[in-house]
Amino acid sequence: MAPILLWLIMFLCLVISVVKYLMGLILRLSFPSIKIRKDYTWQPTVSVLLPCYNEGRTVYNSIESISKCNYPNDRFEVIAQDDCSVDDSHEWMLKAQRDFTNISIRVGRNDFNCGKARTVCNALQGSSAEIIISIDSDCIFHPDAIRELTACFAEPGIGSVGGRVGVSNPNDNVITAIQTIVYYAAFELYKIPENMTRSVCCISGCLFAIRRELLLEIEPTLRARHWFGIPVNQGEDRFLTHQTLMRGYGTYINNDALCWTAVPTKLSVLFNQQLRWRSSILRDLFYTLRSLPTHVFKLHPNTIFTMVLTPLGAVIALLMVITMLSTNPLAWAGPEPLVVYLGIAAAFTWAIKKYSVRETIKHPLAFGAYIAWSLASSLFITPLALLTFDSGDWGTRAKAPEEVPIGHNNP
Amino acid sequence: MATTILDATHDPEKPRKPLQLIAYKVTLTLYRVFAIVTLYAVLAGILSYAFVMGFYAINSSWAAPLILSASDEKSLDFMQKLVISRQSIEDLKVDVIRQQTTLAEMDKYRASLLALGRELQTAITSKQNHDQLTGPELAALDKQKQADNRKTQKVLIQIHQIDAQIKSDLAAGLITKGDAATQLAALNQANTDYTDSRIADVMLSDSVLDKTTVGTKTLEVLEKQADLHSDIAQLDVTLSVAQKQLQEDNRQIDRLHDAITIAKQSPYYLNASGDKRLYFAFVPYDNQANATVGAPIYDCYLNMAFCRKVGTVKQIFLGEQVINHPIFKNQIRGLTILMDLSRPESAKSQTVFMGRKPLFF
Repeated sequence: MAPILLWLIMFLCLVISVVKYLMGLILRLSFPSIKIRKDYTWQPTVSVLLPCYNEGRTVYNSIESISKCNYPNDRFEVIAQDDCSVDDSHEWMLKAQRDFTNISIRVGRNDFNCGKARTVCNALQGSSAEIIISIDSDCIFHPDAIRELTACFAEPGIGSVGGRVGVSNPNDNVITAIQTIVYYAAFELYKIPENMTRSVCCISGCLFAIRRELLLEIEPTLRARHWFGIPVNQGEDRFLTHQTLMRGYGTYINNDALCWTAVPTKLSVLFNQQLRWRSSILRDLFYTLRSLPTHVFKLHPNTIFTMVLTPLGAVIALLMVITMLSTNPLAWAGPEPLVVYLGIAAAFTWAIKKYSVRETIKHPLAFGAYIAWSLASSLFITPLALLTFDSGDWGTRAKAPEEVPIGHNNP
Repeated sequence: MATTILDATHDPEKPRKPLQLIAYKVTLTLYRVFAIVTLYAVLAGILSYAFVMGFYAINSSWAAPLILSASDEKSLDFMQKLVISRQSIEDLKVDVIRQQTTLAEMDKYRASLLALGRELQTAITSKQNHDQLTGPELAALDKQKQADNRKTQKVLIQIHQIDAQIKSDLAAGLITKGDAATQLAALNQANTDYTDSRIADVMLSDSVLDKTTVGTKTLEVLEKQADLHSDIAQLDVTLSVAQKQLQEDNRQIDRLHDAITIAKQSPYYLNASGDKRLYFAFVPYDNQANATVGAPIYDCYLNMAFCRKVGTVKQIFLGEQVINHPIFKNQIRGLTILMDLSRPESAKSQTVFMGRKPLFF
């Protein structure tokens, strides 16, 4: 009975995923009306919150890119909050404050290291804007990003809006090529059906806009997040999105609001990042299951399916991989998975080259390595995430990057 | 796992209950112990798994013990085929005997037909020779007979005149009725003789025709001779087919005997027919070099270490066997060996090793 149930759930997970990708494609091609009604004339005041930990010079570049945005300078400000970085990030923030005087930049520092979520909350204390945009300090933003995000709030009922995160280093190596395709597929296909019902389950923390009053309402819950007394500092973006939906607001991703991030180039860094993400996904799953009846009454079925079956698929994938490896260890080594993955890679590579030139991948065959990554991801990341809920660090930024002296410009 | 419990999260104005703190600490400790144990167990499992996979990828001395029972599907199938083969041999033998008997009868019949044919030919030849001799003589006699008849006919014409004379003499009273009757009877006798002579002449002509030309009787005899030849020819064909069938049946019997002889070398036959419990093992072709008769067999803990000698290779069967790899689970081809085990429980091990201990201990 148990294996049948396992297969059934796995089948449902796969079907949901495949259907969502196909739906995304169909909706993109056939129903442009699913796009949100934007109003560029409505220009609310905006606070761009920039939590930072051990980003070094990168935070300076991020602020620089924000300073070049085409939103009226008097309508927005940047609040950079350092979470007690052990490198020179704070100095770079202060330098940005000095250098980019065309916009209002406030720099703050936490009294003690308390994680990203609480750093965002601390930054929020200094804001009085109508719209809060929380960003990652390692991203470079398109000049239209703020304008595009705020325009979406013209639609009543929208609580949070996200932007499209692109990969700035798609051709560094195999790892970045794989991530480029994954990012592209997620934003351009997977999230499209969620966009249609205004119920995106996770807006990326790289570019996350939310109504101030809503964030203030959620803030106490965000601050109080803990796991048996241990503060939860990861996955604040997923948590905020989830809370937005639970409070009856809509969520949306505007793919015209662009930002670029340098994805991990090393396997160890990618592993840490994925572990952090998987951990937040699993926390979210447990939260959803714990209050499933409330979810059922409040949320769109598509949202509930995504919130339950996607993470459940990750857990079951672990069991499936273990079963597969113990019963037929060489099954994954056959040519079929490789051919399927390469076929998908070829299709996405073509799409990326056509629609997102900046992310063009030079070596799409590298996506074949995604099989190995899928296995590693299923085998190691899920159990590790389940067993490290007590970890509260910044994940990829836990270690200080190499210091770059202030004043030294990037090439 | 450098974490701070609660201090960073809870509202300072609402101090947590000590009991809750203790519950959290206990839960966390248990969770961490469980996590550490599980993670190390997973790590150990993964490393062991990787090592086992690598070990079996490069090791070339392993064999997988096979436990064959008499009720095993393959054994049953094998025995069923064996029984069918034996039954086929018996059926073929009966057929052969029947065919041999039939052939003998047919040979006899053929010999009698040939003898009859020869006698018929002799009779035909002797008759022809006789006809050649008597035919011309009979023809000459026939001519003479015809000449005699013509003369007789002339005489009879004169006799008719005498008949009229007798009747007139009687009417004139020159002769008595008795004399007249006697004379008329003599005349009538002469006519009858003439008629008989003509009949004899006609019959003689027939005889001459028979002896000097090919008549219907001769043709009938020749037809019978032809029928006889045809019967012999048909019999020859039947005999030839029967002989070929007999040869084929004999060859089939030989082939079945060969097959059974080979089958008797199969582990399934030995397993199904023997009284003693036999222990077999599958050896992949890659490991065939290590499978030599008399080679020691080792059984190991964890399928690779702390090995002990448990027997030797007794016999090697060359028939191909296909099984699933005991570790990789993919299909592999190889052959079967018979093991002489001093520790029968080793037959239940997942793998055994031939030749030497795989890790030298």
